[in-house]
Amino acid sequence: MLVAGASVLIARAKPSPIGRAKASQQQATVEQVAAQEKEQPAQPATPPQTPAQTPPPVYRGPLIILDPGHGGADPGARGPNGVQEKEAVLLITRIVRIGLEREGFRVMMTRNDDSNPSYDDRAALANAHRDAVFVSIHIASTGAVATARTYFYRFASSLPEVAGTDASAAPIPAAGGPVLWEEAQESYVEASKRFADILELELAQRFPGSAATPSPAAVRELRSVALPAVAVEISNIIATDARTWTTMAPPLATAIGRSVQAFRSAGAAGGD
Amino acid sequence: MPRNLQIALVCLSVAVLIGLISLHGLHNRIQTLEENQNTEEQARHELMEPEISTPSDVKAKAKLFWAAGPDRTAPIEMELTLSAEPAQRARQVLRALIESVPSPMLRTLPADASLLAFYILPDGTAIADFSDALALETPSGIMSEELAVDSIAKTLENNVPGLLRLKILIHGQEADTLAGHVDLTGFFDLGPTAQENQGAVSTPQNPAPAASPGAASPAAAGSAAKSPK
Repeated sequence: MLVAGASVLIARAKPSPIGRAKASQQQATVEQVAAQEKEQPAQPATPPQTPAQTPPPVYRGPLIILDPGHGGADPGARGPNGVQEKEAVLLITRIVRIGLEREGFRVMMTRNDDSNPSYDDRAALANAHRDAVFVSIHIASTGAVATARTYFYRFASSLPEVAGTDASAAPIPAAGGPVLWEEAQESYVEASKRFADILELELAQRFPGSAATPSPAAVRELRSVALPAVAVEISNIIATDARTWTTMAPPLATAIGRSVQAFRSAGAAGGD
Repeated sequence: MPRNLQIALVCLSVAVLIGLISLHGLHNRIQTLEENQNTEEQARHELMEPEISTPSDVKAKAKLFWAAGPDRTAPIEMELTLSAEPAQRARQVLRALIESVPSPMLRTLPADASLLAFYILPDGTAIADFSDALALETPSGIMSEELAVDSIAKTLENNVPGLLRLKILIHGQEADTLAGHVDLTGFFDLGPTAQENQGAVSTPQNPAPAASPGAASPAAAGSAAKSPK
């Protein structure tokens, strides 16, 4: 049999036990991130202690699920100084999460330590939420340093031309019906592309030299995600100074936040 | 003649006879060893021989897609000995894609990678089985892995007619990803652009089987990235 794994039916509204477990592991541990948190503690769920403080904005948009790629025994790309993609993306994602939460977004991470959830575990975590977007974060081995690119999944010969279509048209998967696990993203490809279009424009404004349009690519993490889902790949792992990536993280958070807002205001967040 | 001399002559004759017989046997053994050595060398030669020629092989220009930047490929025409038989033709162009890179900067597939097998299913699905080096030595990253897959897919769709989709195996097995990012569990579309243009371009330099004319298509050079299903 050429295609591995039996097709599994998923029920979208049923929360995954894996998802619940992963969702509870959200404590940052990296010193840099902890330092930032100390400087400006901002948890949307925690009310301000003094009346004089301005409460953080609470944006009632979709949940943003951040997915730091790789982890555990899978290091991802390796830099010349021994830097591993799994460590760098975790650091970046933690900073992005803080930036988004300061803006009032609800954020969840698929991993917050050196674990390596399987592709299915990551998808299960995402698929436990209906009003959400999924953003997988990676670092490339190639490409101009300090640029970023957005990818959306495209199945073979199944993506119709979306140019000129109504951007506010919500992606409507088969009403309430089960979806093949391996093709869960297929119903959301157009929504993912619209989200990727918006996000890539935001990234191009913040990271000169980045592509103006997103690219279709078969990023494995996205395949079984039944949500608007994109991957952002930052270039590149050969940067010898880790600050290259950490300084990219705050604008990346801003770009993701604005993209989610624009995506939602266009009525294309999907799910609910 | 004294009797002692007669005995000595008989012994000498027997010794010479035994010597001759032994010499003949030794000669035969040496010949056998030489033949075995030739057979081994022949086998090694056959194994190392890059291409298996078939009677239909002709010199033709193939379009091989190498890197034209970190995120895109572009065709370079190269004269190759190409078979009219699609699977053999595919092996020839893919081997050239790995082994005949004009410059290291253009390389899309690791130099140590090799094509272990290639065959075509009746429904037009091409199965390309590469060695472990393809997965181990391709730079990890969405961009770099897409570049590798794109160069394989575009090279096939522009040089081998009749292929509809591609499945990439690593050492005979299905792999989750190429090098941690790009999904290999599905199939890659081998260009509706190329298929639509079948028959549009069929030059003497790029002969195709009579049943499937028009292998090459310049329009397909700019076709979109392939995606699995």
